[in-house]
Amino acid sequence: MLNGLVRNTLLIAKREYLERVRSRVFRITTVLVPVGMGGLALLGGLGGRKLAGPENMAIVSTSSTLANDVRATLEEGEAGAPAPQRIEVYAPATTDDMAVLKQQIAAHQIAGYLLIDEVPGAPEPEATWISSSSVDFFRREQMEGALRSALIRQELLARGMSQAQVQELMQQVHLKTMQVKNGSMVASNSERSFAGAYGLILVLYASVLIYGINIARSVVEEKTSRIFEVLLSTASPDSLMLGKLLGVGAVGLTQMGIWGGLLAFYAGSALAASQGIHGLASLGLTRAELVYFPIYFLGGFFLYSGLAAALGSSVSGEQEVQQFSFILISPLVVSVVLLPYVLGNPSSTASVVLSLIPPFTPIIMYMRICSQTPPMWQVALSIALLAGSVWAMVWVAARIYRVGVLMYGKRATLPEMIRWMKYS
Amino acid sequence: METLVELDHVSKSYEEKAAVRDLSLKIEAGSMFGLLGPNGAGKTSTIRMMIGITLPDAGKVSLFGKPFGNPSLRRVGYLPEERGLYKKMKVLDQLVFMGELRGLGALEAGRRAKAWCERLQIADSINKRTEELSKGMQQKIQFISTLLHDPELIIMDEPFSGLDPVNAMLLQDTLLELKKQGNAVLFSTHRMDQVEKLCDSICLINRGEAVLAGGMREVKSRYERNRVIIHYEGGDEFLEHPAIAEYKTYAGHAEIKLKPHADAQDLLRTAAKAAAITKYELVEPSLEEIFIETVGGRSDA
Repeated sequence: MLNGLVRNTLLIAKREYLERVRSRVFRITTVLVPVGMGGLALLGGLGGRKLAGPENMAIVSTSSTLANDVRATLEEGEAGAPAPQRIEVYAPATTDDMAVLKQQIAAHQIAGYLLIDEVPGAPEPEATWISSSSVDFFRREQMEGALRSALIRQELLARGMSQAQVQELMQQVHLKTMQVKNGSMVASNSERSFAGAYGLILVLYASVLIYGINIARSVVEEKTSRIFEVLLSTASPDSLMLGKLLGVGAVGLTQMGIWGGLLAFYAGSALAASQGIHGLASLGLTRAELVYFPIYFLGGFFLYSGLAAALGSSVSGEQEVQQFSFILISPLVVSVVLLPYVLGNPSSTASVVLSLIPPFTPIIMYMRICSQTPPMWQVALSIALLAGSVWAMVWVAARIYRVGVLMYGKRATLPEMIRWMKYS
Repeated sequence: METLVELDHVSKSYEEKAAVRDLSLKIEAGSMFGLLGPNGAGKTSTIRMMIGITLPDAGKVSLFGKPFGNPSLRRVGYLPEERGLYKKMKVLDQLVFMGELRGLGALEAGRRAKAWCERLQIADSINKRTEELSKGMQQKIQFISTLLHDPELIIMDEPFSGLDPVNAMLLQDTLLELKKQGNAVLFSTHRMDQVEKLCDSICLINRGEAVLAGGMREVKSRYERNRVIIHYEGGDEFLEHPAIAEYKTYAGHAEIKLKPHADAQDLLRTAAKAAAITKYELVEPSLEEIFIETVGGRSDA
């Protein structure tokens, strides 16, 4: 009997897997998603370069020493901020120079010019930034900082310090950030340290949307075409449901595998290197993140797929599936909404409790794992609860599916569904 | 003879409505059984209890001499009333899947599927997707999927509905052959002509209750030969004869129902005086007439 159950489950999983992998939708999404993502990344890169890339500017001042000093500081650049490509200095500027500058602004040859006027009697010069657009290509702080350090440098020189002394004194300070992860210190890159978590959110969200709805649809198809009447006259509802989830899950994994392979290939490629990425490791993924990723992805995937199957079993038509997709996705949306709080307070009671509630576990617990190291028992408990709720979900879905045979056309009410549960 | 299915005083109700009431029947190996009744009589409900899709509220269902159990289902082939196949799947894949689900190996299932497709004249479609086929073809495919694992008990809910006469005949002949090989066939229908030709025994149900059951010959012998078909030329005054309960006239012939124990020979003599008789036949009522008589006016349909 158990043998039969396993055999039937595998048969059904095989059918679901092969039918989907052979389908046109699978081929199209497998190719289009990476192409789309790659296109977006490329576009983002180009656009970013255009927006934040080096630009030309000019400095107009009554004092050439000050102007050149500001230029030197700006050209040196600040960590993380783009430096202007070319800076013309007009000190002092003639009326002709001013006319040329205005023309250059109009022709977008320069982003703008910094006008520094020494006001007699005042301790500081008056500085104005004149540009054509409301968007600042150079950050205000950047220019203020450059001006401030140029002034300090001049003041120090004026007070008798040597050029070398001033240089040493004015050296830029770099703040190194470190993070304690799994008990050891690792260099952290605040922008990338959650790549794993955001990746999981994206992948889980996409696969629940694509494959969850897909499962609900296939359940509805079997119901409306009454195939399940034939299936149920040979196989148990548990093996039907389990087989369906395993089959569709395997399709999801196949697709993820293809995409993962492409990502690894990309990360190791010259294109990525030109964008500052050298191999998967530089995406900021730790070993723990890589190990837990498939666990929480699969747990979440099966839980939501089970929910989709249960929803599919309780509706009578294709159109209703659309309405249910919101219910399906909402716990994921709630998880994402709660993320900032969990990130800020990863060890608070609320975060711990949230990360143990199965529908929230995949995203919230994984985020906690990425941001610090939760106690092992919490991780283990969250996985156990997740697995238990997947099992319960499959059981419930199988019951609803089984008794759905009796339904003709009308949607089940909640009390009816509860009565179905008791029916064997 | 071995009894394959036995329903013993089975009842089932949905919500407030009784679908099947105190129904008992037996189906034996090597026989063809007709489950008859008007729409909504409880035919499908009865069939569903036989294969465990629903459980009876009261009474017992036995399959192959044992109380109902899932393992027995591998020996059953079931064709539901509403036809269902995976639309996107290729015909052969679909048949192999169904065969494997019923315990066949993939190779054996493929071999049998091809043989059956030859037999039912759809071998050309074996590599097409199901959705590309006509309804009649799809019905044949589902028919095959029901029979692929060579079930001892074949249960079919309205198997011939929607088929053209040629294909209906093809499937009828197939079922008759399977019966000859010793399989038991049960099918439900409201088409009496098919039942009359094919079935060894019948059960007529109305409003969930068996109103008429038994072997075909035995059921019909319960009814008097009281139907007269007369072909004549000339006057039709003889239709006023006291032996006649009711009659219908058609071009050149009349169908007459006699009063109980009426004298058919006297009617013939009277008619011969008024008209030239070309044919005079005394027949037993058709199953259709028995059906209408038994159910008549009491049907929900």
